[in-house]
Parts: sequence; structure tokens; C-alpha cells
Amino acid sequence: MFDFLIHGFGVALTPLNLGLAFLGALLGTMFGALPGIGPINGIAILMPLAYTLGLPAESALILLAAIYTGAEYGGRMSSILLNVPGDAGAVMTTLDGHPLAKKGLAGPALGLSAVSSFVGATIAILGLTLFAPLLAEVAVMFGPAEFFALMIFAFASMSVMMGKDPIKTAIGAVLGILIGTVGVDSSTGVMRYTFGMPELYDGIDFVVMIIGLFAISEILLMLEHANRQDDEDDIPPLGRVFISLKEVLACKGAMVRSGLIGFIIGILPGTGASVGGAVSYTTEKRISDKDGTFGTGDMRGLAAPEAANNASAAGSFVPMLTLGIPGSGTTAVLLGALMLYNITPGPMMFSERPEVAGGLIASLYIGNVVLLALNLPLAGVFARILTIPRWVLVPGIAILSFVGVYQLHSDLTAIFLMLIIGVFGYLLRKLGFSLAPVILGYVLGGLMEQNLRRALSASGGDIDILWRSGISIGLWIAAAALLVLPWLLPKLITKLQPSNRPMAQVEDD
Amino acid sequence: MKLAADRLLGIVLTGLAAFIAVQALRLNVPISYDPVGPKAFPLGLAILLAMLSLVLVFKPGEDGQWPHRALTLKILLVLGVMLIYALLFTRLGFIITTLMTVAMLARIFDASWNRALITGVVMSVGSFFLFTDALGISLPGGYWLETWF
Repeated sequence: MFDFLIHGFGVALTPLNLGLAFLGALLGTMFGALPGIGPINGIAILMPLAYTLGLPAESALILLAAIYTGAEYGGRMSSILLNVPGDAGAVMTTLDGHPLAKKGLAGPALGLSAVSSFVGATIAILGLTLFAPLLAEVAVMFGPAEFFALMIFAFASMSVMMGKDPIKTAIGAVLGILIGTVGVDSSTGVMRYTFGMPELYDGIDFVVMIIGLFAISEILLMLEHANRQDDEDDIPPLGRVFISLKEVLACKGAMVRSGLIGFIIGILPGTGASVGGAVSYTTEKRISDKDGTFGTGDMRGLAAPEAANNASAAGSFVPMLTLGIPGSGTTAVLLGALMLYNITPGPMMFSERPEVAGGLIASLYIGNVVLLALNLPLAGVFARILTIPRWVLVPGIAILSFVGVYQLHSDLTAIFLMLIIGVFGYLLRKLGFSLAPVILGYVLGGLMEQNLRRALSASGGDIDILWRSGISIGLWIAAAALLVLPWLLPKLITKLQPSNRPMAQVEDD
Repeated sequence: MKLAADRLLGIVLTGLAAFIAVQALRLNVPISYDPVGPKAFPLGLAILLAMLSLVLVFKPGEDGQWPHRALTLKILLVLGVMLIYALLFTRLGFIITTLMTVAMLARIFDASWNRALITGVVMSVGSFFLFTDALGISLPGGYWLETWF
């Protein structure tokens, strides 16, 4: 059953793909370390350039996946050194990471986070290898009706788990789906919401969408921090970067537990690195914080969220590769990237395009080792990236965005559209929306409509087909339960035991 | 009743939902064997959007931090710079427009004139050769430059 993996290593170990995994890991770590640029922004900005290289699908995906995992590594730098989380997944890393840096242990903290990221990611990639083919076998039985129910489940799970406000998460997803309906309707040829503009007939381009939504809105958002002094000299000295085996072993329990938690949370649609980090941190605190040292620079408090957020990054590949349902905003972007290559991720990918599925999984193993090898000795170099002033960073992002969109069709309309979407994204963020549901809706909406219509034309318009099979009934019930439980549970819990433990609420990417 | 940002947003989105629904109903569908057609999906989404927006109108969340006047001006300035960049991109060529844009953006983000101009020159020329020679992207306005070198 591991033929795909052997095949995959054959693909991933070619010099080109090995080089791309290395390049992606390097670029990803650098972009993740840049202030304000998380994995999703990094991929959004670098993706168009990956296309211009004219790479085959599996190579492009290897590059993008390496950027993704690399950015998860890079995100911890500013958490530990500056107490500013580089991305949503690294929020919990600040709690014990920054106190460690203040104690003069910045170097060991970076080293430990690299090791625990490696352990967490390894656990999750092993899980992915074992679990994905099994899930793909089940998913082969899915028809259009089941896929439609699955997407309803994914959106329900996302509304509950992602972002601060479930209503806004749902609105964001609906807006994303609606943006996806622009263009020609594939089954009837009718133009929808194009307002007579030929540029919109093919719909709003994926690259334009993600660059506008993430890169341009980020530039506008950065203006708020333009005057903040984070340029010079407040990076604590790193000291030794290598950590001792004893320190690693002291955290082994935290790493393994958190890796498992992160992997499971990563699989659930809509819950990504930040939820994984938060749950693992609170769990670890309950299990091993006997002396109340968590929050004051306990190594285990750093290892737990670091292992978990990398594990959930890898875990979110499970639903994406097997079901075509991304587990996070970033995997939604990767899914969109695959669709540009006319590959629809899903259960058939393991049998029809094993070089893509296997190559990607194999490259995750390789990328993980590369990242550890890069991050231990080069921590000091990467830390330097934090000092890049915004007046260099922002123009750089602007150039990459403009060129990335321009090279699609050498067309200015796309650039104007990118700017409009950028303003739209900025307003959404200021209004307390998370952008991940928007991009998930945009990527999944088209598939959702196709599956609905396919199911209903198979049944001749009989709507009962949507809940005829056991699988779809189960998914509908699960979706309903997800939507109802958060309303019921707090009431039940307050009845049973009064608890005042605050739930960590963080925005996910 | 205070007009919270969420309330206003809810009203705008309800309007958007109505607009989407009307547009969907207006679609002219040729005879097809597809029992659903292109109307139903956007129509359903519009109804869902309207319902969710009404929740926002009646139960708005807290008002976020909105940019004060100086910041709003800066945001408009950045958008203006990028708009001009887009408008002149093909006319004046990549290097000139990028140089100006980078310098302006750097200025807005509090770099001194000297730093802004140096960054502009280095970034525009550097990225031009990176994109065209290393990545094979064709950018506008390379011709006059090639005749120089």
C-alpha cells in the first residue's frame, strides 16, 4: 500500500525537486520570519513566480509545500525574539518563548523550537502517510451528494472553529463562494455577474484574488505600524543556538503529545495551526505544569505549541489530498494552485496522479529534514530578517504583487482588480473578519455547486438524493451537531460546574 | 440606536444580497437538461447572506479600532501611489515606474529621501534583471534600456 510513497520518493529525489524543496524551505523561512508575513501571505506572494518557472505540477506543489512548512518555521522567530507572533499559528509560542529570550536564552529557545517543530511535523507526516491512503479508499465511495454534504460539514466546522465571530466567518465564506460564481457557468454557458466585462468571463483569477486579498491588504494594514520602532537593536542576543540533548529530552513528552494533538486538529477542516497551538499549550500546561513555571519561560511551554502548529500544518494536508477539502486557509491556496494545473485533489489523486500525491508527501519528509538542518545553524541569519525595515519590505511586496499579477496575461485590468480586492480585504480585516474562510469559500464554492448540480441532475431534480446514503446522513448530522453544540455546551457546562477558564480565541490562517 | 460598524455592514450586505438575488433572477437560461440551472446556487447564497447580515444588524459586535484621520490619508496615499503605478506601468516601463513607486512607498513608511531614492534605484534595477533574466518574465519598457547597455 506504500507504493505511492516509494514512487513519491523517486519523484522528490530528482535533483530539480530536491533543489526546489531546499529553495522553498529557505524562502518560506525567510518570508515567515518577515514581520507581518505569515505562511498564507508568503505563498500568495511567491506563487505567481513559481508559475513563471514553468514547473510541472508535482514540482510546483513541492515548492509551494516547502514554502508553507518553511513559513511555519519562520513564524516563530518574531514570537520568541520580539513577542510579536509572526503569524496566527505562533501566538502561543510567545507565551514561553519570549520569556526565555528575556532570560538570555534566545538561542536555545530558537534551537528548541526548531527541534520540536521537526518532531511535531515528523509525527504528522507519518500520520499523513498512514492515514491519507486509507481515507482516500473510503472517499472513493463518495458521490456528488456525499461531496456536497462533506462541504456543508467543512463550512459548518469552519464557522465554529475559525476566527472570533462565527457569524462573520460564515459571511466571509458566503462572500468567497459568491466571488467564485463570477464568470461563465460551465454547464449552461450563462454569464454570471460579469456585467458585460469580457475580462470577467473566465471568473476572477485565483492569483489576482489571493494577492489582492492577502498581499495588498497587508500593505495597507502595515501602515498602522509604520511608526512603531521595531527596526533597530531590540533583538535580544542569541547566545548559543545549539541545545543540549538533555534539554530536548526534558521536552520529549510535550513534543510527542502536542504533535499528536496538532495532527488531529489539523485534519479537521477549518482548524489549523493556531487552534492546534492553543489546545496543545493548555493541555500541556494541565499535564506537566506542576510548579507553575508555564508562562515564565518553561521550555516545555515552548515545545508544545511549536510541535503542534507544525503538526497541524502537515495534518491539514490529509483532507486536502484525500477529499479535496482544505483543512486551513493556506491549504486552500495550495488547492487552488493544484486546480490551476487542472488537477482536482481528491480520492482519485492517489491512483490517477500518484506522482503528485506521493511526490508531495515524500517532499514533506525531505523538506522537514532540510528545515531542521537550515534552522539550527542559520537561526542567527534568519533572526536578522526581523530587522528589515518596513520601508524596504513594503515596496518589495508591492513589486512582487504587481509583477506576479502582470505576468499572468500582461494585462492591466487584472492589476486594478487586484487593488480593488485588496481594499475589500483590508475592510474585511478591519471589520473583524478572518480572510481564511473567504479564500476557502472561493476555492470550494465552485466544486460545491458542481457537486450539487451533478447530484440533482442524476436524480432528475429530486432533492432527496442529498441525504439518501448513510455517509451523507452522517455528514449532515455532524454538521448540524457542530452548529448547535457551541450554543448548548456552555449552558450545559455552566450548569454542571462553574468554570472561569478563558478560552483562547485566535485568528487562524 | 447607535450605528455600529457591524450594523452598517449588515445593512450594506443585505443590500448586496438583494442585488445578487435580482441579478440571479434576471439570468436568461437557455433550455438545458440541468434541473438546477445557474440561478439556484447564487439565489440560495443571497438568502443565506441576507439572513446572516440581519443577525449582524440586530446583534452587532464591538466596534474595532478605525484609522484616525492621518492614517486614512496615508492609506489613500498608498492606494493612490499603487494606482498611478498601475496606470503608468506599461507606458513608462517597469524601471522608471518601479523606481518612483518604491521611493514613494518608502517615504510614506518613514524613510528619509536619500534612503528612499537609493532603495528605489536598487530595487527597480535589481528586480528588473531578476525577473527578466533569471525568471524569464517579460516586463514592459525594457527596450530603451537594452539600447543603452
